[in-house]
Amino acid sequence: MEDFLQNNGFLLVTLTQQALLAISLYYPLMTGQLSVASPGFYAVGGYIAAIMGTIDFFAPWRAVLGWAIFPLEWLIAGLVSAVLAVLVGIPALRLRGIYLALATIAFVEILRVLCLNMEITGGAIGIFGVPQMFENRWSYIWVFGPLLIIMLLFTWRLEQTRVGRAFKAVREDEMAADCMGVNPTYFKVMAFVIGAVLAGVVGAMSAPFLNTWNARQGTFDASIAYLAYVLIGGSRSMWGPVMGAILLAALPEILRPLKDARLIINGLVLIIASIYLPQGIVGALQRLRIFMIRRVSSMSGGS
Amino acid sequence: MQEDNFPCQDIMTAVDFLQNFLNGISIGSVYAIFALGYTLVFSILGIINFAHSAVFTLGAYLTYSLAVGQFGISGILAGFRIPFQLSFPISLLIGAVLSGITGVLVERCAFRPLRARDADSLMALVSSLGVALVAVNVIQYLAGSEIYSFPADVYGDIRPAIMFHVAGKVVVIRTVQVIIFAVSMVILAILVYLINFTRIGKALRAVAENTSTSSLLGINVDRFILYTFFLSGFLGGIAGSLVGTSFGIAGPYFGVTYGLKGLAVIVLGGMGSVPGTVFGGLIIGLTEAFVPSDYSAYKEAVAFAFLLIVLLVRPQGLLGQSQIHKV
Repeated sequence: MEDFLQNNGFLLVTLTQQALLAISLYYPLMTGQLSVASPGFYAVGGYIAAIMGTIDFFAPWRAVLGWAIFPLEWLIAGLVSAVLAVLVGIPALRLRGIYLALATIAFVEILRVLCLNMEITGGAIGIFGVPQMFENRWSYIWVFGPLLIIMLLFTWRLEQTRVGRAFKAVREDEMAADCMGVNPTYFKVMAFVIGAVLAGVVGAMSAPFLNTWNARQGTFDASIAYLAYVLIGGSRSMWGPVMGAILLAALPEILRPLKDARLIINGLVLIIASIYLPQGIVGALQRLRIFMIRRVSSMSGGS
Repeated sequence: MQEDNFPCQDIMTAVDFLQNFLNGISIGSVYAIFALGYTLVFSILGIINFAHSAVFTLGAYLTYSLAVGQFGISGILAGFRIPFQLSFPISLLIGAVLSGITGVLVERCAFRPLRARDADSLMALVSSLGVALVAVNVIQYLAGSEIYSFPADVYGDIRPAIMFHVAGKVVVIRTVQVIIFAVSMVILAILVYLINFTRIGKALRAVAENTSTSSLLGINVDRFILYTFFLSGFLGGIAGSLVGTSFGIAGPYFGVTYGLKGLAVIVLGGMGSVPGTVFGGLIIGLTEAFVPSDYSAYKEAVAFAFLLIVLLVRPQGLLGQSQIHKV
């Protein structure tokens, strides 16, 4: 067991982390909004944790709080992400479809260029030696794991409440929802903010995990990767992003023996999956289940 | 003494202005023809082809292979030398045609199967990104990740730059810039002629207006979509080659930045508008050129700032038409 964790612990934690980021992108999609802003908030959260963990200004805080500095970092990262998300979300969520996607791509890129040039973010080099929470990498499962479980429970419960039904109504038909007294802007911004806070907190947890933080952490590539997790997994259920993230993030590791060719295979998987699994993996499994039930019932009907 | 200085400074700023203007108009014209590749596909399918930046990259590598043909050390083709070299104009043309054919392949692999299944247009985003991932990594596999630059004499035996001495300052016009601008303008003129004054152009405009009506009127829609992707790939390949000769090819991922800037260009001009795209390309090129050198690190953010501001203030773009959302 110990050996297995030593060898695969990093991958295990990475998969959990990627699943959380996929959920953060799934939230705006619950209201039908295609936003790829998650890497931006993830980067901001990571910088907050890295800055609080390294600069002298926070040295007394670190001395007093000890290990408790980490939850404080998550809290501040979450709050900053929430404020930023409200500021960005209210004007941006008036846009629809691909226009919103483009606006969020621009948001991520502008943040990246800013982080690349500011002094406090360490410029192009980034921030090194972010203090560790644990002695080894796999122990980070004790922060990412519970967060994933909490998020799954939260999302599952949310979908059954008034808010969850409002999200669904806005996704299916914004205008009809508006006529029925559901304020679309309010719920779109709410979903966007929940996704942003999650991405920010995951970023704040990831800076100690990765030990270093730089402008390469929130990029267009990451936007694409998270979007692919959600769409390949299935964008109609919270299990979609989780399954998509685990499968697609594990793929390069599984294909590691292929060395340089592995990203080519990764691209082929994206093409084939988008053609043959238009509802994502979860959608395909549901169709398979319906097919099986019909078959079983027709067989019993025949006898 | 101080008063004497003023007119002189005016001339100096005018010279700087001229230099920045020339730089901006040259890079802006490439942005324009590159972004037209997005515009053509968007006007017909209403989808952004995210494989366009990969075609841009591929075009640059193809032109390099044909014109120079000397490969580096880290790819499968390490140390390989193509036994023939073509002149730059012919390499550019063949490279662009091959890029156009790649564009057609992108349509066949990533877009047509999804249309046939009537899939969500979001999935086209993923499939075209998948094609881009494959293309870029095949390039990396073959040619490695090092920087390739075109030799100075790639255009033949002409001077690399012309210098003017104006009021004691030097204005440099690089030959590359002139070539970039001239080629872009020629391509643009041909494209405008093709779209507005030929039968093919008429059919393309009809398909862009309404796919099912034009299909009912006897236009083979799938064939014209293929033409569109060929033109789009051709433009991407030309733009990639021109940028490659000017700044070098900084590895297989060098198209990504241009791909994103191209998105800013089409949004600025108005999605699907050809004159708007040209306008948008020139504006972004010029604005980047006028960013003061102290802030040059922020140059990369200019296009995205434009993108955000335009989307928030005037989402239909400068020359686009606003849409009314019906129930």
